[in-house]
Amino acid sequence: MDFEWPDQPEKFDEFEQELKQAMERRPAPPSLKRRIMQKRSARRTERHHTTMIWWQRLAASLLIAGVIAGGFGYRQIEERRKGEEAKQQVLTALRITNQVLNNMNRKLAEHDKPENGK
Amino acid sequence: MKNRVAIWVLGLAGIALAVAPARAQNGLPMPSPVEKELAARASNVTEVTLGKNMLGFAAKFLDGKDKDEEATRHLIEGLDGIYVREYEFDKEGQYSAVDIEKLRTYFQSGGEWSSIVHEHDKRSGETTDVMMKMVNGQPHGLFVLDAEARELSIVLILGPVKMEDLSKLSGIGGLGVLGDIDADSHGNANRNKDKVKPPKAKTGGDE
Amino acid sequence: MAHNWQPDFEKLVDEHQSMVFSLAWRMTGDRGLAEEVAQDVFLELDRHMTRIESPEHALNWLRRVAMSRSADALRRRRVRGVDLWVEIEEKHGSPAEERQSPLETRLEQLLSTLPEAQRAALILRYQEDMTPEEIASAVETPLATVKSNLHRGLKLLRAKATTNLKEYIRGL
Repeated sequence: MDFEWPDQPEKFDEFEQELKQAMERRPAPPSLKRRIMQKRSARRTERHHTTMIWWQRLAASLLIAGVIAGGFGYRQIEERRKGEEAKQQVLTALRITNQVLNNMNRKLAEHDKPENGK
Repeated sequence: MKNRVAIWVLGLAGIALAVAPARAQNGLPMPSPVEKELAARASNVTEVTLGKNMLGFAAKFLDGKDKDEEATRHLIEGLDGIYVREYEFDKEGQYSAVDIEKLRTYFQSGGEWSSIVHEHDKRSGETTDVMMKMVNGQPHGLFVLDAEARELSIVLILGPVKMEDLSKLSGIGGLGVLGDIDADSHGNANRNKDKVKPPKAKTGGDE
Repeated sequence: MAHNWQPDFEKLVDEHQSMVFSLAWRMTGDRGLAEEVAQDVFLELDRHMTRIESPEHALNWLRRVAMSRSADALRRRRVRGVDLWVEIEEKHGSPAEERQSPLETRLEQLLSTLPEAQRAALILRYQEDMTPEEIASAVETPLATVKSNLHRGLKLLRAKATTNLKEYIRGL
């Protein structure tokens, strides 16, 4: 099946011209941009917060490293670093678990909605 | 005669090994071949594998003064392992129903797993599976497989899973939904349904 | 000049929000859902800004993702046992835009009764003036399939419009 598709609008037939007019872009609601910018800003703040936590952790690590001079061994620092890493992995795993179960719950709830008119 | 018996035993062992997933030293399954294929096709991969020892180690670094971290610590203490995979894809159609079935079969074998939830939308191809491993009437394992158009997640928790603790984890977003599953695992209406509807940051912590 | 072009998120929102919103609305038939989709599309754009190389790239990217997210939203909304097209048609029965003629309004309503793939092709063709090749790229479908959808969709729409126009004229 191969048809001639006119590239220029002026080659549309009358019906297609009507269709094109009917399909002019609708103006977006005035609140849409505001909501987009707000959500974007909120997400960036959250990312910044996470970044700040990482910087704090780094600062804590440096502090711990500074304490070496006072007598703490390399082993303790390495253990703490590994421990924090393991902890983050646990939290990541549980975050994904939570997300998966929420998805499942949502799907089950959709399935359990009474059918319209029945 | 003895040789024949030996051959039979070896043969049976071979079959058992062939169907059951290979286990790492920490008791968690080795990644299945399907997972490697999924990872190759995914735009973003998250993999977490934590054995019993690593969980115990991580627990030491959870702050007992923080309510949520304390709840997390209580949850993971005693667990035999946590195995999580999350694959995000740029477009749909990056995995098939056969892949899903292979994953289910792979993780389900080698133990008494009961299906608590099995939902499959034939139109969209989305699948959700929840299975529990019961030992002496207590939950001793939780498996969740959530397959969506552009995302596929696998969660496997082995060991005595404390459902009531999972539901208290508000700090990690609240897992209250597991209360419902717990009810189902103890004999309430099963949600097994096959409905016909009219359509990579790796953070492996393996020991 | 593409080398010197730096994407400005807010400008892209200003420039393309109507396009994205219109695509989503015509695909889903639900104004509220279309707003959600549009929001998600731009937030996803924000995550991918570093990969946007030119204004044309931004436009094409937004079209592609808007169509994809609209299809996802439609899929999630599907209610078992209910004809979704009927549901869309009922929602589209809201007051027409004043600038539109009754026939144009009716055409838009009829569009919403078409199968999803045909509707998508027609929207991109007549709202966005895209060629079949461009449509094929946007919806990640073979060109032959797009042409078939355009042909069948237009034919079906004409047939429906003809029937409705007669009734419309009879009702005058």
